[in-house]
Amino acid sequence: MTDNNELPNAPFRLTRRQIISGIASTGVVLGGHAGSAVAQAPKRIIVPEGEFTPLPIAIPNFVAGTPGDTEVGVGVSQVITNNLKRSGLFAPIDPAAFIERISNIDSAPQFQSWKTINAQALVTGRMTRQGDGRLKAEFRLWDVNTAQQLTGQQYFTSPEYWRRIAHIISDQIYERLTGEKGYFDSRVVFVDETGSKERRVKRLALMDQDGANVRYLTRGSDLVLTPRFSPSTQEITYMEFGQGDPRVYLFNIETGQREIVGNFPGMSFSPRFSPDGQRIIMSLQQGGNSNLFVMDLRSKSTTRLTDTPAIDTSPSYSPDGARICFESDRGGKPQIYVMPATGGAAQRISFGEGSYSTPVWSPRGDYIAFTKQGGGQFAIGIMKTDGSGERILTSGFHNEGPTFAPNGRVLMFFREPGGSGGPSLFTVDISGRNELRVPTPGFASDPAWSPLLS
Amino acid sequence: MKVKVDKTVLASVALHVFVLGWMLVSVSTKALDMAPEDSVPVDVVSADQLARVMAGMKTGKKENPKPLVEKVAEAKPADDAVGKITEKAPVLTETAPPPQPKAEEKPVEKKPDPPKVVENKPKEEPKQEPKPVEKKPDPPKVDPIAEAIRKEEKPPAKPVQAARPPEPPKPKVERTFDQSKIAALLDKRDPTRQAATGDTLNSNAALGLAKGAAADNSATWGSMFKQQVERCWKKPYGGIESQKPEAAFAIRLKRDGTLEGMPVPEGAPATPYLRVYQESALRAIIECQPYRLPAAFFEEWKYFAPVFTEQKT
Repeated sequence: MTDNNELPNAPFRLTRRQIISGIASTGVVLGGHAGSAVAQAPKRIIVPEGEFTPLPIAIPNFVAGTPGDTEVGVGVSQVITNNLKRSGLFAPIDPAAFIERISNIDSAPQFQSWKTINAQALVTGRMTRQGDGRLKAEFRLWDVNTAQQLTGQQYFTSPEYWRRIAHIISDQIYERLTGEKGYFDSRVVFVDETGSKERRVKRLALMDQDGANVRYLTRGSDLVLTPRFSPSTQEITYMEFGQGDPRVYLFNIETGQREIVGNFPGMSFSPRFSPDGQRIIMSLQQGGNSNLFVMDLRSKSTTRLTDTPAIDTSPSYSPDGARICFESDRGGKPQIYVMPATGGAAQRISFGEGSYSTPVWSPRGDYIAFTKQGGGQFAIGIMKTDGSGERILTSGFHNEGPTFAPNGRVLMFFREPGGSGGPSLFTVDISGRNELRVPTPGFASDPAWSPLLS
Repeated sequence: MKVKVDKTVLASVALHVFVLGWMLVSVSTKALDMAPEDSVPVDVVSADQLARVMAGMKTGKKENPKPLVEKVAEAKPADDAVGKITEKAPVLTETAPPPQPKAEEKPVEKKPDPPKVVENKPKEEPKQEPKPVEKKPDPPKVDPIAEAIRKEEKPPAKPVQAARPPEPPKPKVERTFDQSKIAALLDKRDPTRQAATGDTLNSNAALGLAKGAAADNSATWGSMFKQQVERCWKKPYGGIESQKPEAAFAIRLKRDGTLEGMPVPEGAPATPYLRVYQESALRAIIECQPYRLPAAFFEEWKYFAPVFTEQKT
């Protein structure tokens, strides 16, 4: 759908950089000072890092390369602005403060005028309609203080995918300025809830990570729960109460086809894909207990992973597929356990007060997020994979079901305020600093974040 | 009119007056007048800065191999102790750090010859003499020590050090756990532990370690620089896990506090995050100029290396 090429650096910049680096490396300028001083190691002054501050960034509207693309240019810059602002790591500057008006992105901006409004980074871009009807998107990311281009890319796409281009550019900017992978070009599947509390209709819905482009995947005749993305982002596994026992289903987003995963007596629930997408791990009910099973999607063979007189559920693979974290009440109250992906001895990792549930392994592999219940409150938290370093990110009447963004830096979960209202989706970064509501058309619960689409 | 006064009241009043008067004199202190002190510029100094200040004196004399000593060790040969202590050779060497190379060799050799060579050097005389005594009783040209040893029944002790095979009696003594001998051991240790003393008084500071830096005014202008550059530093979000990033630059400032040229980063960042970290620091340095630093120390701050890092240690 898209292709991209590295934009060449603006020519003037190259020469200046070369000159400066050349001068610096040869010591022509510095050496002129005093020969002895150069030889002597300079005094080291430690500058300790202070509190984190969002980076001031200016994102003027993308230039319309062809008449009629002004609107999409404005839209792209707004989507980028919104993404970066919601990440909590950037402080987009109000366009009303801009001094320079960008009209040509191929020449260097007047850095002094951006410095004046305290911008440290500047994004310029252009949307151009091609002869074949495709849309070309170009952008450059500038470092205002050093007057350097940090990155620049161009993409071609169908005009209707302009939002996606904006997300991809957002990821580029995020990655270049934070050193972390981005997460904006991703989607979220969730359970859309409408109607009164007594007659709630629950449908599977899909949307962009920022709440745009909502699509409904089911009609709402049956109750659906716990949707989960496959690594390919093309399939979803979820649990549905149809006729009889709840079953685990597999749903293809592109084709709309769905199938039951396995044919087990009793209830099957809380499914999740393995990192390679070849297997689904889930709970099967057996009497009053439930155990973990994994089913190979190709061979349809099912393997038992636990065999305990307890409720083992909510399994989640580590990103390398070697281990599984899950929830079990084998020790009394529900707690989080970790065991090899092939089964075997499970090790309890949660030891705080209260009970722990819905563990999910970060795509980075460093944390396990969970829902913690205790003291009349539901909290969302993270802990390291050995159970240490527990951090509660948010707490309240009812918070549940965390899911990690593709870069492992942000969690989405749903919150019930209590009363007659319904649940809605929230994001919070893993420091707990930046909590935001995710816009949805109605009530929403059980979110699951997709991997990056590209 | 006669006023009838109760004697007790009088006594009470008199007593009160006396007590209060006495308190006025004795309890009240003279104003706590403190001699006006010269104002002292104070700055918050971090631990490592303090360490650097303490790290030796560039003005120290290099040709001063002796340890800093405030007290002359008593020349008592620690006769008795010596005999038993010999086995604890390392302790002895600690007591005599100054003649390090030679001192170490001597114990190993156990020969009287080296000590003589040492005697030629005035500084080491006192300590060297005791050592030879300890090690070898036989050649004792040092009469006093030998005598002292004998007095405390340490003829056996000597053999222990010199050679175990020749004289078995010593081991026997030790095994008997004679308390008097234990006392002797203790006596020996005392002198050896007096590391603060030396054979000669030496009030000169040592040169210090090669990596030590001389005290300077960097604590003053350095903190001023820090305060100013911190305002512009938008450090990238490194997550909640400490990554211990560090970005160092060599920068040159002009007298007006502006950069003379682009800061030169030290080394290439190894990870994307470190690159971002370095860039954020570079932005801060550039954005926050000109720096207002005390002109008096221009020679110090015209060329230095700010190191941006996580404070946590």
